[in-house]
Amino acid sequence: MIDVTIVVNGETRRASVPPETTLLKLLRENFSLTGAKLGCDVGDCGACTVIVDGMAVNSCLMLAGQANGRSVTTIEGLATRDRLHPIQKAFEDNGALQCGFCGPGAIMATKALFDENSDPNVKDIRDALSGSLCRCTGYTKMIEAVQDAARILRAEAAAKPRQLELSK
Amino acid sequence: MKAFGYVAAKDVGHAVALLGEHGARAKVLAGGTDLLVELKFAAHGLKIVVDISRLAELKGISIIDEGLRIGALATHADIMRSPIIGDMFPALADAAHSIGAVQTRNLGTLGGNLITCVPSMDSGPTLMALDAQVTYADGRGHSQVPLAELFVAPRKTSLGPDGLLTAIIIPKANFAKPAAFQKFGLRKGQALALVNAAAAFWVDQDKNSFVQPRIALGAVAPTVIRAPRAEAFLEGKAITDEVMAEAGRIAATEAKPISDFRASAGYRRDLIAVLTKRALQSAYARASNKVRESVP
Repeated sequence: MIDVTIVVNGETRRASVPPETTLLKLLRENFSLTGAKLGCDVGDCGACTVIVDGMAVNSCLMLAGQANGRSVTTIEGLATRDRLHPIQKAFEDNGALQCGFCGPGAIMATKALFDENSDPNVKDIRDALSGSLCRCTGYTKMIEAVQDAARILRAEAAAKPRQLELSK
Repeated sequence: MKAFGYVAAKDVGHAVALLGEHGARAKVLAGGTDLLVELKFAAHGLKIVVDISRLAELKGISIIDEGLRIGALATHADIMRSPIIGDMFPALADAAHSIGAVQTRNLGTLGGNLITCVPSMDSGPTLMALDAQVTYADGRGHSQVPLAELFVAPRKTSLGPDGLLTAIIIPKANFAKPAAFQKFGLRKGQALALVNAAAAFWVDQDKNSFVQPRIALGAVAPTVIRAPRAEAFLEGKAITDEVMAEAGRIAATEAKPISDFRASAGYRRDLIAVLTKRALQSAYARASNKVRESVP
């Protein structure tokens, strides 16, 4: 067994697991975070995508031991009690998901894209989503949702300093 | 996955000692994107996985006396983002970008890609066209060989059971040598190459001719190969589209492509000719500073 300590969605979590445990299994079975999905289990479908130290990764291809000491964000870390994350809202508003199985992965891949590039073009978006297989939507609405979410997030970011000024 | 032991190596020496101790029953974990897939399908369990993923000495991209050193643990994403590589070897960034998808590029390492020794690897051709060397450590110490000598057969490298790839070095003589990478897959993302090709050459500015041309091809032979006859044909020739097309046709005769469920041997031969020509044209465009960026 190996001991791992991981900051998951801002909270320090510990577990003792067999070495062959993947990060995905650790999240789902030890930490009860079932948002990341087990799809292909070989890194093709992206349903298990989470963000580790700022990078989108396939959690099915990472051992729990590799994630030890790192910071992990899963789909559960996006929404607050009050509201969905703007990416989630944009996916909902655009009908970008049908069965939804790929959703957590596609949304986390989008989040990782925005963390690097707040104003991605369609080519950037297609590149960022190329590791997220969706068998329902044909991707068009998903790409539109990502564009919408980017606009909303940029508007929110631009409004923030003003709000601070006004509150002074 | 079947059960295995896990040791996080403290340094290269520790990793080599563990590999020496356990031989074929030990595997190295770098990025894990190939290893975990292999372990999930493995019929037999392993004794141990030697995790080298945190060894700082195997990371980083930097200029040393000999040339550009890319640590074996540099990820494909690191290579895409490296300002040094973007400036001097954009073809390497293109090749890295053509691998898998963002999730795999964030974890997968250059050393790991090379060590798989699969014929379709996308990192191999450009490095080979740039006369890259690899350094490795084993029980006898540290050694350096040309990249081409690392590749023996599909999934078989020249490293011994305790060999650990440590870095890739592009010699200083080839700094900013114009180069380009081309890949044809069945999709843009998440696709293995049916054929990939890289070309590199200097341009004699007075004669507008090829100097030290290199052509390397992937997915068309048991390992990544050079195309020496096409290179010899180009040496000293004036650079024209016809000459580049002819070099492609010659390169197609030098490979031994196979037919499989992705493509027939004949189709792959046609692709070699086309991709070699395009790689030469694209490298020439870079040499002429006509394009600052190219898209894989």
